[in-house]
Amino acid sequence: MDAYDEDSRGPQAPDGSAGTRLPEEPPEHDPPSPPRTGVAALSPRYQVAAALALAVVAVAGCVHLLMVFLSLAPANTVTKQHGQAVQDWVYPEFEQNWKLFAPNPLQQNIAVQVRAEVRMRDGGLRTTGWTDLSAQDGAAIDGNLVPSHTQQNELRRAWDFLAATHAADNRPVGMRGSLSEQYLRRIVVMRLYRDDPTSREGVIQRVQVRSSTTNVQPPPWSRERISAKPVYRVLPWWALTSDEAAGGVR
Amino acid sequence: MNRLSPTLSRGIARVTEAALGPYQSAVIRIGFAGTWLLFLLREFPHRQELYGPSGPWGWNLAKELTDDNHAFTALLWSDGQLWFECCYALAILASAALLLGWRTRTASLLFMVGVLSLQNRSVFVGDGGDNVLHLMSIYLVFTRCGQVWSLDARRAARGAAARARGEHVPADRVGPVLWAVLGLALGTATLTGRFHDWLIPALLWTAWAALGLWWAVGRRAAWREPRTLLDVIANVLHNGALVVIMAEACLIYATAGWYKVQGSRWQDGTAVYYPLHLDYFSPWPALADLMSSSGTIMMIVAYGTVMVQVAFPFTLFNRRVKNVLLVLMMTEHAVIAVVLGLPFFSLAMIAADAVFLPTSFLRRLGDLAARARGRLARRAGLTVPAPRSPEESTADHVGFSA
Repeated sequence: MDAYDEDSRGPQAPDGSAGTRLPEEPPEHDPPSPPRTGVAALSPRYQVAAALALAVVAVAGCVHLLMVFLSLAPANTVTKQHGQAVQDWVYPEFEQNWKLFAPNPLQQNIAVQVRAEVRMRDGGLRTTGWTDLSAQDGAAIDGNLVPSHTQQNELRRAWDFLAATHAADNRPVGMRGSLSEQYLRRIVVMRLYRDDPTSREGVIQRVQVRSSTTNVQPPPWSRERISAKPVYRVLPWWALTSDEAAGGVR
Repeated sequence: MNRLSPTLSRGIARVTEAALGPYQSAVIRIGFAGTWLLFLLREFPHRQELYGPSGPWGWNLAKELTDDNHAFTALLWSDGQLWFECCYALAILASAALLLGWRTRTASLLFMVGVLSLQNRSVFVGDGGDNVLHLMSIYLVFTRCGQVWSLDARRAARGAAARARGEHVPADRVGPVLWAVLGLALGTATLTGRFHDWLIPALLWTAWAALGLWWAVGRRAAWREPRTLLDVIANVLHNGALVVIMAEACLIYATAGWYKVQGSRWQDGTAVYYPLHLDYFSPWPALADLMSSSGTIMMIVAYGTVMVQVAFPFTLFNRRVKNVLLVLMMTEHAVIAVVLGLPFFSLAMIAADAVFLPTSFLRRLGDLAARARGRLARRAGLTVPAPRSPEESTADHVGFSA
């Protein structure tokens, strides 16, 4: 465990890490001999308190690590019996997911596309063509050393959220399903008003979102062959709230 | 049993008498605070869209979700634009203060509040990097991460030097004022019923009370023993938190590695090819094509990644092997930063890796940074107050290179 530290000679004096502490007392002896620290410097009464603190910290640390471990481990005998306790401990602040590109990395490009029904100034109703918002994100990321979360995560994860909270027939599941719909709708409306020439000219009435999933073509040196044709998942038209239609999402 | 008890008492003495790994804890403090600070500055133009009250993940949506999952966020205490701007600015200031080690413990608490407030406000814009910072911001609160490379350490060293010369050192004013202001804020938030869950408020109140106690106990020369007890508790907390931070880093690698072992793409050696060709993770398509032009290289990278991730926790028992893997992992993350366009994730991971760096290396790094700073200051001319020489600053083990 302490392989990280070949030399623990740090400053032994208490540090300035506590926001409000006052400077140390001047040393009583000259030259100052380093005062004994740790439990050894304490009388038995205080040693009990120190031992108690040590025990509490040790137990809390071990329990915490065990809970985090169980939350990360695959479903097993222990989590089947005590899953709720693990969840209660870990959520919401210690939630974590480290299945990074695992077990398999994503092998499809999922593009979110949108079209809108716009009430023009002359009163006419126009339906725009499909706009590929993910392609816009991809273009913004190209050649970018520091892609923004707005380009890399916002739409991508909003779609993941929606896909995870919707049944195969596109019906929302639970409160999160409804939240995910509102979220995705607000993203696409914001972006249409920002970039789509037709939408900017009028007032958006309804929007329709679809995803286009295309397999990443296998590497040239592998002999695999897979379809290059995109698969679409088309969601129903969504009506906007008055706030969204008025460009209230910024 | 007879041989066990001296070992045990030596162990207890070690974890109670000092906050171990002062350089390691300082380097992760600088790493995490710096990553979050750079992120906040980078997203400054996009802050409304990501976290603002009328962004796509609007105030009402966020409120509905946090009412359900009880995550802590101060951003939802008001839907006002001013409140949002203040919170964002405070999050920036707290990161800067933690980076510099100014009132480190208080800064770490404010840093945590900033990280949690922003991330829990908009959970769906984050990625693995945010997740690392989220956890570490909580763990950092328990550490004494300002022992070296911090303004606090410099202030303490100057105070000690002045006292050694027999000079009078004026009492600290900033600390008590800061404490009172934050206590007022905490009290207001509690009395107006802003907190919904117990964990974070309890942590904040405990820390606030402990800081007050620390100050009070430090005032009386006669209270030597309570002071030592508080010092022991602070050391134990620090050492425990450092173990948790190291274990967390191991859990990250173990999870990432062991789940990859099960994946068919990692087994057939093509796994690395795919992220390189996802539109969202390929800022440099030509570079990605170049890297994936050889199936053999791709397979070596895929297998190497899995092996390193699975092996890392076990190599902690051997310094030399651990250091080799550390170099490999930091290099891989640096490559990921550019090739997959994930700079902040990579920075956060490199900061987490840094907790395992050897002290000798970190001290050399500190000396180098102090010397570079000295040169810079000299070049800037005489308008800058003369910096302390690197020799002087290393003599008391305090480098001011943060």
